[in-house]
Amino acid sequence: MHELGIALSIIETAEEALHHHAASRVLSVRLRMGPMAGVSKDALLFSYPVACVGTSLEGSILSIDEMTEGADLEIVSLEVE
Amino acid sequence: MRPQPRMVAVRERVLKENDRIARELRRRFEEAGVYVVSMVSSPGSGKTAFLEKTLSMLHTDTRVGALVGDLATENDARRLQRSGAPVEQINTGTICHLDASMVTRTLEQWDFGRFDMIFIENVGNLVCPSSYDLGESLRIVLLSVTEGEDKPLKYPTIFNSADVGVITKMDLATATEFSLGEAHRNIQTVRAGMRVFEVSAKTGAGMTEWIQFLKCGASRWQKQ
Repeated sequence: MHELGIALSIIETAEEALHHHAASRVLSVRLRMGPMAGVSKDALLFSYPVACVGTSLEGSILSIDEMTEGADLEIVSLEVE
Repeated sequence: MRPQPRMVAVRERVLKENDRIARELRRRFEEAGVYVVSMVSSPGSGKTAFLEKTLSMLHTDTRVGALVGDLATENDARRLQRSGAPVEQINTGTICHLDASMVTRTLEQWDFGRFDMIFIENVGNLVCPSSYDLGESLRIVLLSVTEGEDKPLKYPTIFNSADVGVITKMDLATATEFSLGEAHRNIQTVRAGMRVFEVSAKTGAGMTEWIQFLKCGASRWQKQ
């Protein structure tokens, strides 16, 4: 169960991007995930909202596109305001 | 007025920070000419016994050190220190894997130039360690004969992230009716072409071949 750590890494990267794009809040995050990434989708979706509390991602929606191959785990895009 | 929501492209790896630290570690290892081998397996597969044997066999003519990860206790470090090699323990608390920053912090005091090989024993776990690059040159995955032949099929991700496989506790193979043929077939199914060693740290069977492989790997790597 390292999905909480993964969620925290998502937040870190998203907050950097938020700053870079001069926005204040993240509304949604789109993630791309390969089957060999070693991450459980359910566990990540479960821990994500908990990890987001108190950050500029609080209340945001995480959507995960599952790829058919590869070990990628990548943030594709963010919806910000 | 509330700002309009907008989409921004990011395209960044989630573990990019770990990747960055691992790249920096790898660069430092390369600069010092130290060959770094990490070990992953489930708990109780014989990582520590295998590492203890490896360290004591290498210690005579190779400058070796080890780093061992566990949630709690210094037991493994104490055991490994019997080999005479310098050993550091990382206690991860509740974290189920090692990451590159833990390795960096723990090895802060080490002068890499004083080593030919460093071993990193990960926390016993066949799931989480697969995602984290530790800057190692070689990753080995252990499978003991007491675990059953189908482990590679159950945990394909970790077998896929490893370079070499080691089947341990071969002295118990007959007692557990372990089918070597099936184990090899399963490993090749998830990781075609992977080199696999069969060893017993207890009897020493297969260890000479393994040590030879490590030394060849290290010298080939150091020449690069």
